Amino acid sequence: MTSVTIGGLGRSRAGASFWRGWDRFDYVMVAAALALVGCGLALIHSGSRPWYDGPITSLASPVAKQALFAAVGIAVMLGVSRIDYHRFLHFAWLLYGLSILSLLALFALGSTAYGSTRWFDLGPVQVQPSEFAKVAAILCLARFFSEHGGDARDLRSLLLSMAVVAPLAGLVFVQPDLGTSIVFGGIWLGIVVIAGANRSHLLVMGAIFLAILPFAWTFAIADYQVERVAVLVDPNEDPLDAGYNVLQSQIALGSGQLFGKGYMQGDQTQLEYLKVSTKDFIFSLLGEEFGFAGAMVVFGLFILLLMRGVRAAQLAGDTAGQLIAVGITMLILMQTFINVAVNVSLFPVTGIPLPFVSQGGSSLVSLFASLGLLQSIVMRHRSYRQT
Amino acid sequence: MSLLDEGLRTPAGPSRNRPHGNVAVLRWFILLLFGILTIRLADMQILRGEEFAQRSLENHIVRTNILPTRGLITDRNGEPLVKNVGLYSATVVPEQLPASQEARYRIYLRLQELIGVSPLEVQTKVDEAIAAGRDYIAIRVATNLPREAALALEEASADLPGVSLEVTPGREYIAGPAFSHILGYIGPQTAEEAKLLREKGYQLNEPVGKDGIEAWYESDLRGQIGYTAAEQNAEGRLITLLGREDPVPGNTVRLNIDAGLQAYVADLLERSMPDNGTGWGDAKQAAAVVMNAKTGQVYALVSIPTYDNNIYADAERRAAELERIQNDTVTYTLLNKALSPAAPGSTFKLVTATAGLAEGSITPNTAFQIGCSLDIKGENDVIYNYPDWRCHNMVMDVRSAIAWSSNVFFFLTAGGDLERQRGLGKDVETSGAVLAAWARKFGFGKPTGIDLYGESAGRVPDPQWKRRTKVGEGFAPGENEWFLGDTYNSAIGQGDVLATPLQIARMTAAIANGGTLPVPHIADAVIGPDGKVVRTIAPEGERVDVDPQWLQVVREGMLGSVQYGAGARAASSKTTVAGKTGTAEFFKPDGTKSQHAWFTGFAPYNDPEIVVTVYFDIGVGGDKAAPVAGKIFEYFMEHVQP
Repeated sequence: MTSVTIGGLGRSRAGASFWRGWDRFDYVMVAAALALVGCGLALIHSGSRPWYDGPITSLASPVAKQALFAAVGIAVMLGVSRIDYHRFLHFAWLLYGLSILSLLALFALGSTAYGSTRWFDLGPVQVQPSEFAKVAAILCLARFFSEHGGDARDLRSLLLSMAVVAPLAGLVFVQPDLGTSIVFGGIWLGIVVIAGANRSHLLVMGAIFLAILPFAWTFAIADYQVERVAVLVDPNEDPLDAGYNVLQSQIALGSGQLFGKGYMQGDQTQLEYLKVSTKDFIFSLLGEEFGFAGAMVVFGLFILLLMRGVRAAQLAGDTAGQLIAVGITMLILMQTFINVAVNVSLFPVTGIPLPFVSQGGSSLVSLFASLGLLQSIVMRHRSYRQT
Repeated sequence: MSLLDEGLRTPAGPSRNRPHGNVAVLRWFILLLFGILTIRLADMQILRGEEFAQRSLENHIVRTNILPTRGLITDRNGEPLVKNVGLYSATVVPEQLPASQEARYRIYLRLQELIGVSPLEVQTKVDEAIAAGRDYIAIRVATNLPREAALALEEASADLPGVSLEVTPGREYIAGPAFSHILGYIGPQTAEEAKLLREKGYQLNEPVGKDGIEAWYESDLRGQIGYTAAEQNAEGRLITLLGREDPVPGNTVRLNIDAGLQAYVADLLERSMPDNGTGWGDAKQAAAVVMNAKTGQVYALVSIPTYDNNIYADAERRAAELERIQNDTVTYTLLNKALSPAAPGSTFKLVTATAGLAEGSITPNTAFQIGCSLDIKGENDVIYNYPDWRCHNMVMDVRSAIAWSSNVFFFLTAGGDLERQRGLGKDVETSGAVLAAWARKFGFGKPTGIDLYGESAGRVPDPQWKRRTKVGEGFAPGENEWFLGDTYNSAIGQGDVLATPLQIARMTAAIANGGTLPVPHIADAVIGPDGKVVRTIAPEGERVDVDPQWLQVVREGMLGSVQYGAGARAASSKTTVAGKTGTAEFFKPDGTKSQHAWFTGFAPYNDPEIVVTVYFDIGVGGDKAAPVAGKIFEYFMEHVQP
């Protein structure tokens, strides 16, 4: 049975199954995500003005490209939501192995940008294996705990679950991509807490982590990361070099004040003082042109989206579904938090995009795929509900 | 059962139990993280928003300053004495040079071709700037480039990153070396000046007046800086011009100086320097002051030797000349001799005469039989002999004493003879103090207040001063006492008395005009770019507390001097000159005796218009200074309209 292809299934059961579960489809979640994508398109349009002046309908237009990726993403989301999430659990370890392999392959074949090797350059598209690896980690953890009695109360399963995530987080860390390895940590932590990890275990592990941190600072963290943390403390120290982005994003955000300078009126963005204003620093662009008020609207959309993720976890019919939902919610939450924290200078510059908003196709498509998984869990919760 | 629905019993099928953790915790976690971000945002955008908004403005609005045109300096007839010119310099901004040493050296070599600077020198300057962390500041590698070289550099600089041509406002002094001491010069700010000037809104590349009128009237001549404000993007490209304020040109300063007279006097003094048979040797230094007798307006102020003040603008190429005038310890070229002190000699007798008449030690009719010297019996019956400069052998009143410049008459006037004749005061010390007080009334011992820097105060010795000064190393015990000889020496402008030619001229003016001591002014008015007078430098003066009738007596003596006495050679056919010669003995650095030649006088006698004071460091007053003064009176009467 497992050898039957999904396409074949769709054909044979289309008439009967296509409409099943759609009444439980979470439209609010999708609406929140689409609203965020809409904000992103508007901001990308504004932020790309200094370097793109062609028509918005051209395929070269960053706005059109992003819209196209959003459409692809929505299609992927719908496709994934049609599939029972247990099918993905089935391939969890395979996906895990592929993730490890592709992360290793990066060292040989990847493209380097800003001193970090994170992508495969496949002609028109860039593939970031860590996007894929995050989903693989979520699936593996969910499967691990669902097979181990659904909890992390004993130390052995807690440590084993950590051993599952550690190789992925470690490989990402040496790229180096500090932000994404923290996202891995957040996903793991979220899942084990919900899986019932013993509070004292977590406290002891936290203490050990804090004790190791100074050594990691000295030996494991690359110079550029030390520098980025240092400029975070005082960006004026080195305003033209490492501190540049931090300082310019502070000025952009701060100068937006309560209601912003107006759409396409942000001097920091339009005069190119703010770098990567459509990608990692799109939140600063938002803050400059729409102010605190605009940022609050976007925060509201994110909170709505994430709450729908929590809802999915609460509704989930079984351990696996619940843990997947928790993992995906943590994934989006951690990425959003780290990106905004970078923009407001609470965290060193790490190169994590703002989910659904930042320009970038592979991130957008994989996020929509994650939403598809959530939908799949929501749509099937009754079937797996156990008393 | 559908594969997509319930009942999937693969190893990864639905697990039996529900997790133990409370999912609702996640909601609080989400709110907590967004709460942190919101607080931070509120801090940045609302609490500190203003500050960041300001920084955003500063970030992209650049102000470029436009230097104003410096005001001109003209003589009293409006004839310009200076010209504004552009000074071309080659500058290098180390930061903008290519990174590789080789590429840099190629630029240095190209610079050598274009403007002839040594590549090594440029390299040293660049390396120094980089080492000092000033690599973003432009370094001047060559200044005062000829026009052709500047144009060639301008053309080539497009291909030479970091190299550019800088044009700064400069001055050309067109009236000749005779004007250098008066006009001064402009130059780049020194490090100390820059700090102070910055507060006044000066740009670092703005030249500033260094000496003379250029420095004294800097704030009038400078004008107001203008600027353009433009929006600039992160790459430094200008996007839009936001505003512009044109610079306001500086005001013109019109001097009281008569350009023709100034040049004539300078030339006359130069020609009169050689010794004409007196055996005292050639004069090395000289000065002359021509001044309005009533208002103190200075028509000419000459210091010899002169120098070309255009040297400063071309300091690099004319380094040898500059070195020579700066290290001149023989004639002290840069020192304005008209403002530098020397023993005034017999010109000082005018003060002694006025003091004697006013204090009653003599009357206009007091007469003494004057021979060759004065013998005074000291405490132990020792006879001290005070010689006159020649044997007069005649009965003299104060008028003829001034005319013939008798020393003995003024010894008696100031100090008495300790027997029948009383001095200015009741004893030796008081006489010295009273004479000093009269000298101060006539402006000695303090600066005149002329609108030039570097003026000396001169020196008026009195008993107190001597007690204070002549003690310690090099002085015998008791040498700081005031003796009769000190009063005698002071009475004839010898000994410790020092006065500048300008002070002598001012004293002469006060005697000529009936008792007003004017403040000399080189400048007459400040004139705006539109030709309207912004302000005039009003004549100032203080009354000398003296009965004008005594001054009349002194004037009669001065008239006698020129008409039949020692100053006869100052006479002019164009006007009636009255004056006083002076020949002051002094010791040259080599120990030999020599004398300064002085003449100070005024004309016309009946209604004094001008004062002329002439000084030579070596010579005899009546022979050397008087004829020069006479010629100056003559020139003035013929060519200058007061």
